[in-house]
Amino acid sequence: MVEKRFIQQTASGIVVLLVCSCSLLAQDEKELKPVTRTYAITNVNVVQAPGKKLDMATVVVRDGLIIAVGKGISIPLDAVVIKADSMYLYAGFIDGLSRAGVTKPKEEANREKIKDPGNPPPDRAGITPQNDVRNSLNASDKSIEDLRNVGFTVAQIVPYGNLLPGQGSIVLMGGKSADQMVLVSNSALYSELSGANGVYPNTTMAVIAKWRELYRQASQAKSYQSLYASNRAGLERPGNDRVLEAFYPVIDQRIPVLFKSEKMLDAHRILMLRNDLGFSLMLADLKEGWPVANKIKASGIKVFLSLDLPEEVKKDDKKSDNKSNKKADSIKAKEVAKPKTAADLEKDALEKRKAEAIANYTSQASVFNKAGVSFGFSSLSAKPKDIPANLRRMIAAGLSEDAALAALTTTPAQLLGLSDRMGTVENGKMANLIISDKSYFNEKAKVRYVFVDGVMYKQEVKEEKKSDPNAKVDIEGSWSTVTQTPQGSNDGKVIFKKDGSGYKGTISGGRMPAPADLISVTLEGNKLSYTYSLSFGGNTIKVEVEATVEGDSFKGNATVGPRGSFSIEGTKNPKN
Amino acid sequence: MKKLFVLLFSSFILLGATAQVEKGNLLIKNGTVITITKGNLEQTDVLIKDGKITQIGKNIATPAGVKVIDASGQFVMPGIIDAHSHIALDGINEGSNPITPEVSESDVINPFQIGIYRALGGGITTVHAMHGSANAIGGQCETIKLRYGTFDPEVLKMDGAPRTIKFALGENPTRSHGEGSGIVPRTRMGVEFVIRQAFSEAKEYTEKWNQYNKAKLVKGFRGAPPTYSYRHEVLSDILNDKIIVHCHSYRADEIYMMLKVCKDFGIKRIVFQHVNEGFKVAPELAAQGAMASVFSDWWAYKFEVYYSTAYNAAILSKNGVVTSINSDDGEMMRHLYHEAGKTQKYGGLNDEEALALITINPAKQLGIDGRVGSLEVGKEADIAIFKNHPLSIYGVPMFTIVDGVVRFDREKDPDDMRLVVDPKQAIETATFRDKLSNQDHCMEGAEFILDSELFNANKK
Repeated sequence: MVEKRFIQQTASGIVVLLVCSCSLLAQDEKELKPVTRTYAITNVNVVQAPGKKLDMATVVVRDGLIIAVGKGISIPLDAVVIKADSMYLYAGFIDGLSRAGVTKPKEEANREKIKDPGNPPPDRAGITPQNDVRNSLNASDKSIEDLRNVGFTVAQIVPYGNLLPGQGSIVLMGGKSADQMVLVSNSALYSELSGANGVYPNTTMAVIAKWRELYRQASQAKSYQSLYASNRAGLERPGNDRVLEAFYPVIDQRIPVLFKSEKMLDAHRILMLRNDLGFSLMLADLKEGWPVANKIKASGIKVFLSLDLPEEVKKDDKKSDNKSNKKADSIKAKEVAKPKTAADLEKDALEKRKAEAIANYTSQASVFNKAGVSFGFSSLSAKPKDIPANLRRMIAAGLSEDAALAALTTTPAQLLGLSDRMGTVENGKMANLIISDKSYFNEKAKVRYVFVDGVMYKQEVKEEKKSDPNAKVDIEGSWSTVTQTPQGSNDGKVIFKKDGSGYKGTISGGRMPAPADLISVTLEGNKLSYTYSLSFGGNTIKVEVEATVEGDSFKGNATVGPRGSFSIEGTKNPKN
Repeated sequence: MKKLFVLLFSSFILLGATAQVEKGNLLIKNGTVITITKGNLEQTDVLIKDGKITQIGKNIATPAGVKVIDASGQFVMPGIIDAHSHIALDGINEGSNPITPEVSESDVINPFQIGIYRALGGGITTVHAMHGSANAIGGQCETIKLRYGTFDPEVLKMDGAPRTIKFALGENPTRSHGEGSGIVPRTRMGVEFVIRQAFSEAKEYTEKWNQYNKAKLVKGFRGAPPTYSYRHEVLSDILNDKIIVHCHSYRADEIYMMLKVCKDFGIKRIVFQHVNEGFKVAPELAAQGAMASVFSDWWAYKFEVYYSTAYNAAILSKNGVVTSINSDDGEMMRHLYHEAGKTQKYGGLNDEEALALITINPAKQLGIDGRVGSLEVGKEADIAIFKNHPLSIYGVPMFTIVDGVVRFDREKDPDDMRLVVDPKQAIETATFRDKLSNQDHCMEGAEFILDSELFNANKK
C-alpha cells in the first residue's frame, strides 16, 4: 500500500531513488533475524541439577536448545561466546502460579447494579471458567521482565477473577507475542475460594456450594452429551453451556484444578471439595501450610508454596534503646532499674508469638521437605525483587540449597509435566538458563544472563543507580510525578517540606481521592524514598517510592503493595 | 506456667497432625453428680474410658494410669449445650438470596477462634454453629464439640449429629431482601410465600427425578435427566425429614404460620429459635411436637421483640414444649447457667427443670440426646465441674471436659490461647477481642444489603 502510493507520487524517472526507498521501507516492516542463535557459555560452574555440579565447563546453546554440556567442548564457529569465568549456571526457574504479563481488567466504576443479587449473571458471579488467560496476556508487560530478572523462565499464569476466573497456561518469560510465549495452553482450570462481592455466591460457604453444583451439573451435561453423540435418534438436543463445558477436561482428569490456597483453612476446605468431587488438584501459593503437610502428602495432590514471606520484625527497638542509652547514662541506669510492668511482659509474650509465627511461615518449605512432600514454588503474591532474599530466609530456616533449587527447577517441571523439556541443564533440553555471578543463593549474587527459549537477556550490573551518598540535593518544593502503570500513565503531585533535619510531605492527584500526608520521607545523598498509603475499594495499600534525584528531576520505581512495581519520574515545579 | 503452655501447645500440634478425635480416660471423684435425668448423686465418682462414661457410683477404684480429678465439694454436671450460636465460623450469612439451603456452615468451620476456648470457660461443650437469619431459608448449620486445640476443622464436628438448617421469619429476611434488594419477601406474607414456593419447587423437582428414575428402569429408555439442582436436593431432604429445621422467629402469628406450613408439607422436626411470643402459642407448639429455644430475658432490641416476658421459658416448659435457653452470643454463652437460673425467679422451675434448659433439652433439639446432655453410663464424657451449684450466683466452672479430655482447667489457664498467630498483625492490635461479643450475629455478613441505597431510601 505504502509502496504503491509512493510510486504514484514519485516521478517515475528517478529509479535509483525508488529502489532505495523500497529497501528502506522493507527494513522498517520486517524484523531482522538474529545474526546467530548459537551461544557458548564457557568456563562456568554448571549446576546441571540439584546436587549435580560441573566445575569450569562449557554449555552450548543453539536454536533454542542446549546442544552440549561438559568440559573440553569445541565451540562452534558461529557462537557468541560468553566468558562466564567463575560464574554459576542453572536451569531456568519455573513458577507454579503467577500473573506475570496478565492484564488486569479495569474496574468498572459504574457497573450496573444487579437487580436480584441472588441470581447474578455468571460473569458477575465470578464464574468464567471458559476464559483463556492467553486473551489477556501482554508480552511487553513489565511484570514479565521483573520475574525474568530474578531467574524465572517459565510460569503458569492465570486470569484475574474470583471463583472461577478461567484457564491457565504455561508460558515462557519472554517472547514477542502471547502466542509465542505459550508452551502449554489450557494447562489448568484456575479457582479461588473468593466470593462475588455482594451477589451470590458472596461467602466462602456459597462459593463451595456453587462449586459442587457446577461440577455435578457439568458431569451430568457431559454424560448426556456423550449419550447423544453415540446415538442421536429420539433424544432431545443437549444445550450448550460454555461454563459447564469448561469443566469437561477436569472431569476427564486431563487437566487439574489449580486452586489458590494461602491459608491452612483454605487447604482444608479445598481438599474437602476435592474429596467430594474427585478432580485432580494443584494447590498453589500456600503460605500457612506447615500443619497440613502430612495431610497434603497423604492426599497425593500437587503443591506450590508461596515465595512471599511475612516481613521480619525489624530490630529498631534495640537500636533506639542503644541510642538513648548513649545519650545519658543516668537515664540508662534508671531504665535498667525499672522493673517490667505487666503490660511490658504481655507485650514481650505477644512479640514472641509473632516471631514464632513468622518463623513458622519461613520454615514452611523446610517442613514440607522433611515430610517428604515434593513441592514447587509460586510467585503470585510475592514481589519479584524480594524472591532471592526470601529463598535465603527459607534456606536459613532449614531448607537445603539443593532442595530449594529442586523446588525451582526439577520438581515444578515434574509437577507441570515439563520434565522432558526443562528443569535440568542437559543436552536436548530447552535453553532456559540462568547465569549468576556467584552461587544464586549467595547474598551478593547478581543474575547476569537469563536465557529463555535460547534468547539471551543480559542484565547490566547497574552501578547502584548513580546514587551518591555525598551528593547534596534539595527536594523542598512541589514535584509533578508520572507513574507508568499497565492501565496507563498516572499523574500526581508531591510536595516536600523541611522538617527538622529531614523532610515531610503530602501527595495528591493520581488515584488519591484527597491529598494525604506521606508516611515517611528519607533522603540520603541523592537517594530519595517516600511512602504513603492508598485507599482502594476498602483496601489500604502501601506505596513505596525509591528514586534517584538529579537536579530538578528524579527517576525510580513505585511499588504498589502486591500490585507490582512501576516506573516513576518526577520533575520539580518552578517556584511561583 | 510457660512450660505448661508449651506442653499444651505441642500436644495440640500432635493432635492436629493426626486429624483424629482425641478421647480421654479420667476419674472424677467424690463430687455431687447432677445427672439431669436421674437425679443428684452425692459424693459420687464418674469413670470415663476412651471418651465415654463407663461407670457412675461410689468408691470406684482408680484404674492404672488414669488421671483423677478430686471434685470433693464440687458439682459435676453434663457439659452445657448452646442450641444457638455463631462461633467457630468463617461466614454467617449468605445474604444475597432469600433461599440458600445449599450453603453449609460445615464447609467453613474455623477451629482457631478464641471464642471456642472462652465458651469452654463457661462450661460449654457442644454448640449449634448456625447460619444467620438474613434469609427465609438460610444455610445448613453444624453441631460442633468444643475440642479446642485441633488444627483440623473436621475434628470440631460432632460426627453423626443430625443435619440441621436455619430458617428465619419476620424482620430480618424482609429488611434484607425486601427493603435491601427490592425483591420478595418484603412482608411476613412474602416470607411465607417464598418458603412455600421453595418447598413446592422441591416437590416438583423430586417428582421429576422419581419419574426419570422409574422410566430409566424400562428397557430401551432414552431421555434426558432433569437438571441437577443442589438447592432443590437439600430442600427435598428437609421435606423428607432428613434435616431438622431451626426457625428464627419472634411473633406468635408467624410461629403459627410456620406450624401450618410444616403441617402442609409434612415436616415433623422443627425447633423455633428465639420464640419471644412462644408463650402465646405454647399449647399449639406442644401439640405439633415443635420445640423452642429462647433467651432468658432479652428483648426490645427491635420492633418485633417488644412483646416479651422472662416467664417465656417456664410457660413453654410447663406446657410440655421441649425448651432450651440459648445465647446467640459469644459473651452470654459463657454464663448460660445464670441464664437458666433466671427461670427459677421467673416461673419457679426446679433445679432439674432449669438445668435441663441448657443440657438435655438442647440435646433433644439437635437430635443428640442419645449421646450427650445428661450424665449416664454409655454417654459421651462431656462434663462441666462447678465450684458451687451451677444455678447459684456463686457458681464457677472449674473444669470443662470433652470426650474425657480436659479442655479447660481454671487453675491452668494460660494468657495466650491462640492457636495461630497472624505474622503480619501489629502487636498493638493483637488484642484478643474478636467480633464475637455484643453484636447481633444473626445478621453478620448481610450488612452490605442493609447499607444499600435502596434500603436507606426505603427507610425514609
